[in-house]
Amino acid sequence: MIIQALAFYVFAFVAVAAGVMVIASRNPVHSVLFLILAFFNSAALFVLLGAEFLAMILVVVYVGAVAVLFLFVVMMLDINFAALRQGFLQYLPIGALIGIVLLAELVFVFASWTFSPDVAAVIAAPTPAAAQVSNTHALGRLIYTHYVYLFQAAGLILLVAMVGAIVLTLRHREGVRRQSIARQVARRREDSIEVVKVPSGSGI
Amino acid sequence: MAEFFDIYVVPTAWIVGGVLLIVVPVLLSVAYLTLAERKVIGWMQLRKGPNVVGPFGLLQPIADGLKLFFKETIIPSGANRVIFLLAPVVTFVLSLVAWAVIPFGAGIVLADVNVGILYLFAISSLGVYGIIMAGWASNSKYAFLGALRSAAQMVSYEVSIGFVIITVLLAVGSLNLSKIVLAQAGGMHHWFGFSMLMPMFAVFFISALAETNRAPFDLPEAEAELVSGYNVEYSAMTFAMFFLGEYANMILMSGMTAILFLGGWLPPLEFAPFTWVPGPVWFALKIAFVLFVFLWVRATFPRYRYDQLMRLGWKVFLPLSLLWVVLTAGWLLAFDMVPPAGGL
Amino acid sequence: MTLPAMLPALPEIFLAVFGMALMMLGVFSPEKRAFKTVCTFSIAALLATLVLVLANPGGRGVAFNGLFIVDGFALYMKVLVLIGSVVTLLMSERFLRHEGMDRFEYPVLIVFATLGMMMMLSANDLIALYLGLELQSLSLYVVAAFQRDSLRSTEAGLKYFVLGALSSGLLLYGCSMIYGYAGTTEFASIARVVSAGALPAGLVIGLVFLITGLAFKVSAVPFHMWTPDVYEGAPTPVTAFFSVAPKIAAIGLFLRVMVGPFDGMIAEWRQVIVFISVLSMVLGAFAAINQTNIKRLMAYSSIGHVGYALMGLAAGGRSGVTAVLVYMTIYLFMNIGTFACILSMRRQGSMVEGIDDFAGLGKTNPKMAMAMLIFMFSLAGIPPLGGFFGKLYVFMAAIQAGLVTLAIIGVVASVVGAFYYLRIVKLMYFDDAAEPFDTPIGKGVGAVLAVTAVITLLFFVGLSPVVEVADAAAASLLQN
Repeated sequence: MIIQALAFYVFAFVAVAAGVMVIASRNPVHSVLFLILAFFNSAALFVLLGAEFLAMILVVVYVGAVAVLFLFVVMMLDINFAALRQGFLQYLPIGALIGIVLLAELVFVFASWTFSPDVAAVIAAPTPAAAQVSNTHALGRLIYTHYVYLFQAAGLILLVAMVGAIVLTLRHREGVRRQSIARQVARRREDSIEVVKVPSGSGI
Repeated sequence: MAEFFDIYVVPTAWIVGGVLLIVVPVLLSVAYLTLAERKVIGWMQLRKGPNVVGPFGLLQPIADGLKLFFKETIIPSGANRVIFLLAPVVTFVLSLVAWAVIPFGAGIVLADVNVGILYLFAISSLGVYGIIMAGWASNSKYAFLGALRSAAQMVSYEVSIGFVIITVLLAVGSLNLSKIVLAQAGGMHHWFGFSMLMPMFAVFFISALAETNRAPFDLPEAEAELVSGYNVEYSAMTFAMFFLGEYANMILMSGMTAILFLGGWLPPLEFAPFTWVPGPVWFALKIAFVLFVFLWVRATFPRYRYDQLMRLGWKVFLPLSLLWVVLTAGWLLAFDMVPPAGGL
Repeated sequence: MTLPAMLPALPEIFLAVFGMALMMLGVFSPEKRAFKTVCTFSIAALLATLVLVLANPGGRGVAFNGLFIVDGFALYMKVLVLIGSVVTLLMSERFLRHEGMDRFEYPVLIVFATLGMMMMLSANDLIALYLGLELQSLSLYVVAAFQRDSLRSTEAGLKYFVLGALSSGLLLYGCSMIYGYAGTTEFASIARVVSAGALPAGLVIGLVFLITGLAFKVSAVPFHMWTPDVYEGAPTPVTAFFSVAPKIAAIGLFLRVMVGPFDGMIAEWRQVIVFISVLSMVLGAFAAINQTNIKRLMAYSSIGHVGYALMGLAAGGRSGVTAVLVYMTIYLFMNIGTFACILSMRRQGSMVEGIDDFAGLGKTNPKMAMAMLIFMFSLAGIPPLGGFFGKLYVFMAAIQAGLVTLAIIGVVASVVGAFYYLRIVKLMYFDDAAEPFDTPIGKGVGAVLAVTAVITLLFFVGLSPVVEVADAAAASLLQN
């Protein structure tokens, strides 16, 4: 299909270009917006692959929630990016060195790429054929049945992260007036109003 | 050549035709929703509402539209031009693309995708970008404050909307919108809004109010504090696009409510006079009813304070909807009512 | 999945559920009593888990589609970890109340950290390994910074977090390489790929990254930089916890990964392990000499001890694993005991941490000085105390495996290391008395001090049963 190929190239190109712009643009807010564009195009690529569930989840989670928080932080913080980049050249050599070493390793590793003879047997895919089951269902089976242990463990990790954030930052400040809806609702007329008969001319 | 025509031109024409068939009525409804709002609230407050332009004020929306169309678009000097202009476009476009997956009747849907409800959810979660971009690009304190409020509010209520959707999905077994509607077939008492999901119906409706920044959750545009919130710097067509987007979103949310809880295009009772009425009409009637409640709420309730809004979202709706997910799943399991994978 | 299929993971499930219940308990009990209540219940929960672990018939069990494994080795290590956690909680209560950080989240986080360690020890898959490790680390980052108004504690927490995240990244990179070349994350299948021969280079590089990540967690040189700062900055009971439970769990994980799936690559990884073992022993011995802060000193001491443990791993085989297990058992008791001493170093209500503060302890508090003497001699490896036997088994295993040079370096390092342990003894008995420490030191700390001192002193009595159990555990690990 020409259209599919065309769509793939368009989305892939925009995704890569947006990725480049994320690091290239001077304004951090623009960076985040380009990041969102990149997410979008990745979602589109997922759709082309037939992984519609992943595509939607990518949009809901990354674009709809994570990037919003990013944007919040970037907009609220007054970061001087020029100052941040000052040391950039100074650290460039060592960064480049590490990058080159890692790259060389990768090249070396991929150059010697061979599948071990046992791999085919080991991989024995747990996923059923695409026609039998929708990809939402297949993912559900994997995550909630096959890998339920990992799912629960990940949940615990997030719980601990939440507890940690609260423990390290929450302070109950003194002198803050809080609304207690239960108390407001429970308040009766007798508690707050007193009807006084005032004889005229004598004051209260 | 004929092949090219068959493969490319004809389907494209169909799609464009379908899009127009959806977009034009939606925009018309938006126009008349604004009129309806003023009329309905007018009646509730013992006023007449607009009644000068045309019979019963029927031409009022047209007049308003023309006015905005002929005004000048002003871009504040400190604004970030590109994003400033992009923001209303984003809002407007997003409010229209969501309609692609809405089933108006049995089989009457532009794109009957498998993950329709997720698509709707994704699109509605993007709505926040138009607002936050507008607030930031305006380079104005009021606009920025309004945008921040709005973003926090929408993100908060989206969470409970997500869980409400999950309860519905549990009962249906599919993410396809048509299947969600069909799962409610058999008369009113089968609609999810009147089943054990009833509390979720309420949560969904109230969250929809917050999600669309409607009263009593219209803090982002609280005119008393923020003049008009995120769109304070906008004028003419850019403002009109925000306005259209916002109202189109209201209609969309009403449509979602109808599909998820009120049986979509299905008639309320499955016998003679009701079944004669075509599905799309029922669907439109249900949307109109939900919209009326939107307006009714606006005329009735005072605005929430911000901390109360957040409390309601995080401390009441989130635990409640989470609990309901567990309850629904337990219920379905206990009574052996778990739907087959992929829906009915 | 049916319930019996999850039975091998019963202790973990119990602890996880109980941990969450503890949080509810803490939130809903009156604020003043919350810490005390949750602390007590946490100790009870950990003890109950210990019982559940011990109640396991001892056979090999796999749960959750092969992600989770229980064998003699896992049981042995879990018992050590649980003892470490229980003792830590016993010692912490008073300290935390004194320092005004008695928030109920502390015991809960310790419980979750322990759960993470147990999950690490039972990991039978790279993903399960990572998730267990992360659950443990995340809880530890938080407890390191638990004294949130103290600059040193928050710095310790942040440093630990940043470097820990880096090491997790390296570990994950390694895991992804291994997955890419082995085509699986399951240990058993990786073992099959490895033993099939014709190792792809990617697998070796992945393994190197994996070792790097694990070495970070056990704080072996050259990935030890965080240790002294974190040990010094973290609240003392937390340091005590750091120096035992996570270390034991990480060493256990190290053994499980190296001896399990990568056994067939021993020629590739042995030199790496030997290298970091030598560096750790040497640095642990020399860098500790100049320290003036007792917690920093213990940090370097623990680096040295990890070096010895890794020597056992380098030796490999049944005797090597047995040696490590015995070593870690003794290490647990003598280290906990030392920290019980450090915890009771308190003058006029505030903590002191200088080594000089021990001066004249022999006269001012002879009982505590005696206990400290036992621990120092044991840490130095002087017979007939426990520490000696640990070193002995490790050296023997190394020599059996033909790593004679390594054993000799180990002996030399332990001679050098003896210097700073004995310096404390000299300070206590031959120097002029400084101001005495506050008494009483509290029931919890006192009991821990007494029990660990006795165990360390009389370890040789129970040596043969311990070695027997450790040997069986090692055999069960090698069987996989």
